[in-house]
This record gives sequence, C-alpha cells and structure tokens, in this order.
Amino acid sequence: MESLDLIREFLKDHVGLDPEKVTAEAELAEIGVDSLMMLELMFEFEDRCGITLSSDLKSPKTVGEMVTLMDRLRSEQS
Amino acid sequence: MKQRRVAITGLGIISPYGGDLPDFFARLLAGESAVHFLHTDDIPRPLAIPFVSCHGFNPDEALGRPLAGMMDRFAQLGTAAAFNAWADAGLSRGEPAKEESESRDNWGVAWGTALGGTLAYEKGYRELWQKGRERVSPLSVILGMNNAANAHISIQLGLGGVSMSHTVACASSAIAIGEAFRRVRSGEATVMLTGGSDAPQAYGVARAWEALRVMASGDANTSPYACRPFSADRTGLVLGEGGAALVLEDWEHAVARGARIHGEMVGYGTSCDHSHLVRPEAAGQVRALNAALSDAGLAPEQIDYINAHGTATAEGDPVEVAALKLVFGEHAARLPVSASKSMHGHQLGAAGAIEAIVTVLALREQAIPPTAHLKALDPACTGVDHVTSGRRHKPLQVALSNSFAFGGSNAVLAFRAPA
Repeated sequence: MESLDLIREFLKDHVGLDPEKVTAEAELAEIGVDSLMMLELMFEFEDRCGITLSSDLKSPKTVGEMVTLMDRLRSEQS
Repeated sequence: MKQRRVAITGLGIISPYGGDLPDFFARLLAGESAVHFLHTDDIPRPLAIPFVSCHGFNPDEALGRPLAGMMDRFAQLGTAAAFNAWADAGLSRGEPAKEESESRDNWGVAWGTALGGTLAYEKGYRELWQKGRERVSPLSVILGMNNAANAHISIQLGLGGVSMSHTVACASSAIAIGEAFRRVRSGEATVMLTGGSDAPQAYGVARAWEALRVMASGDANTSPYACRPFSADRTGLVLGEGGAALVLEDWEHAVARGARIHGEMVGYGTSCDHSHLVRPEAAGQVRALNAALSDAGLAPEQIDYINAHGTATAEGDPVEVAALKLVFGEHAARLPVSASKSMHGHQLGAAGAIEAIVTVLALREQAIPPTAHLKALDPACTGVDHVTSGRRHKPLQVALSNSFAFGGSNAVLAFRAPA
C-alpha cells in the first residue's frame, strides 16, 4: 500500500476523517493528529511495513513530510 | 465554616437498559432483569457466565472520534454517563461561554473504578503471549490507567478543580460520591461531577472472580434469574458493565441558575471492617451506617428506604441484614429494603453510583424497585421489610444506599427527596 493511502486509512479509522481531506499540504496537528495519535500512527506504520523507527526521529509536521519520511524508511529498510 | 446544602442537579447513566433514566427506572420498578448468558469465543476455554452488557452502547456515537478511540471501555462508559449527567444538569461542555463570567476553577471530578482499563491491558497480554508479538500499542498506558475516566471528563467538561479516582473495589463509586459531597458541602468546590464505571468482561478478570466461588451459576435459559439476593437458593453475584454519573452542586448556586433539583445529598459515612479481606463483618457496616446517619443528622426511624448492597453471595447478604437490624432496631422490621443488583447486576466500581441513582429516583418518583426473584427468603436474612415487587410507598423522604466492598471498606450515602 502507498504511504499516503496508509495514512488516509489510519485517519479514517481513528479520526473519522474523509480521505480526500488528507492532502500533502495538510498540517497533521490541524487534522487531529496530536502527539499521542502520532505515536499510534508510527506504531501502525512500523507494524504494517515491517520497519523500525528510531526513537529520536523528528516528528513530521505535514502529511507530505510524513509520506516522504515513510517512503525513505521503507526504501532504506527493504 | 458554613456548611452548604448539596443539590443533585444532574443524573446520567449508561446501563444495560440504555441511557434513558425514566426508562431505566421503569424497568427496575417492573422487576425486569438485564442479565443474559455471555458466551465468548475464547478458545479453548470460552467464558460462559451470566453477565450484564450494555449492548446498545456505541462509543463512537456517544463520544465521537477520535475521543472514543483514546479510551478503554470503562472510560467510554464513564465519560458518556458524565456527558449525560452534565446535559441533564443544563451545563455546557468545555470552556464556559463568554457570557458566563463564572470560573470553573474549583469545579472537579471524583470518579470510582475498581478495575480501570483492564480490557486494554488484557489486549496487550494477548498480543504478547498469544500472538507472539514483541510490543504493545503506545496507547496502552493511557487507556489502562485507573484515572483515565476522570481525566477525560475534566478535559471534556473544562473543570479546573480536583480530578481524582477512587479504587475501593465494590465501594469505589460510593466513596467517590461521598468525597465529592464533602467538597461541595465544605465550599471547596461549587460543582462536582462524580460517579463510576467499570467493564469487567476481561477473560482473566472473569476467571479470577470464578475462582473466588462467588459467581452465580446460570445458562442460556436461567441467566435472567441468576442473581437472587437474600433468597434461600441464591448462588452468587452477576458481574456487569456500566457507568453512572451525578452532578453535585452547591444548593444556592443551583437555585440561582434555575437548575432542576432531583434531590439532596445529606450524608456520607465510611468505615473499614479491619478484620478480613473478603469476609464482611456487621460491626464495620454498622459503623458506616451510623456515621452516615450522624453526618446527615438523622435518626434511624427517619429512614424510609434502603438500597442494599445485596450482591447475592452466601456470606454477604446475612451480614448486611444483621447490620441493618443492629442499627435500626425495632424500626428494621418496617424498613423497606431492596437490592436492585438482582436486575442490573454488579458493576463493581460503577455499582455504588448506579445504586445512588436508583435511590435518588426512588425518592423523586416515590416508588421502590424490588429485589427481583426473591421467592423463598433465606431464614438468615429475615427481620427487614424485603420489597419483592415494585412498590409505591408514600411518603419517601430519606433513603440510604449501601456499598460494602472486598477489603472491608464500607460506604453509606444518604439522600433526601426534592423539597
């Protein structure tokens, strides 16, 4: 699954957010992803993609930054 | 210090009958049992027990997302009940509106839960030990912590005063209500949201209660009648899930804002048996009953109804009746007593709050719900006026609600009918 689709699916399930509103420019905090939700999102990302995030990873601010980060980690750890 | 009168201005419940209070009370008055036979898909040893579930409760509808997803079921049940009580009290959620100049900095929450987020912990254990995973959800801590319900309620209602949880087994929410009452009466808090919630259907929890040999037996046909307090053929208690909340408010504050007053809380007594972890003792219960009467400035003869702890265990029921006879003397034989757990089951940390609401509604509606399924009274439980079918009993002025917990902790709440 593409990283953006994975984020959209997560936010639909956990926040009830319409996938169309999850655009690259959207600020994560503004669409309901607070620090706790970010932890859960990272956890699910690790689980589903079979990768490990380092604990000192800088949190992305936008959906686009999150996608870039996920794509890079998937590529590095595949 | 001037003692304030304490008005009950909001009641909210998430019960097996739903969230509608008049319907809840009407069903109890009619003696309708909510107990069903729970059969889980746990392999190789499914749970198969009489239980009380809140089937109709939809957390997403009641709380919305993402809030519902940030809670274990006990906090969902509790927060939803709190929202119902808050709306019933005519109060707004979150930050007060601009036209409301009043601060909520001394408004608080006192909540009761015996188990907290045990379902979240059990989910984690299953992930680790059954599925062989090496880690659990990062939300496990905030889902599982016992103070999750009161924390969510304080945040959602915008309450800046005390926010605390009480874990005292079956007396958890009765003690929470009592402590909230003291804060309003002393003037420390203007408004307190109080109550309790629990969701004990975790596999390990139910098995642990079974091992204590205090659970009622029953199958698909007999479960509705499984809980029979004071009955000679009783076999034990029936666990259940639920949440219940009350808004306690400074009487003058309630009157000034034109709030509807369901009744008045007038006393609270608590004690410890200090003798045994699970074997109750009448002397300890007598101390709590007398403390509540003294706190309320009431004589035993003034009490018109008692909602008993009445769990239907072999040991507990006769001890409670013995304590009532010691406190009420000759009045005991004329004292209406009923155990509504016979219908709504035992919600552990929520039980005291559910039964406080039953007691307040009994006073408001001038009607006593029965101890259901009480056909043959245990000779060891005679000496009080057991109410075996719904009864209109005018006038009902003052009533007590008993909660007697494992650990020997006892709590008695005293309520007066609305003026």
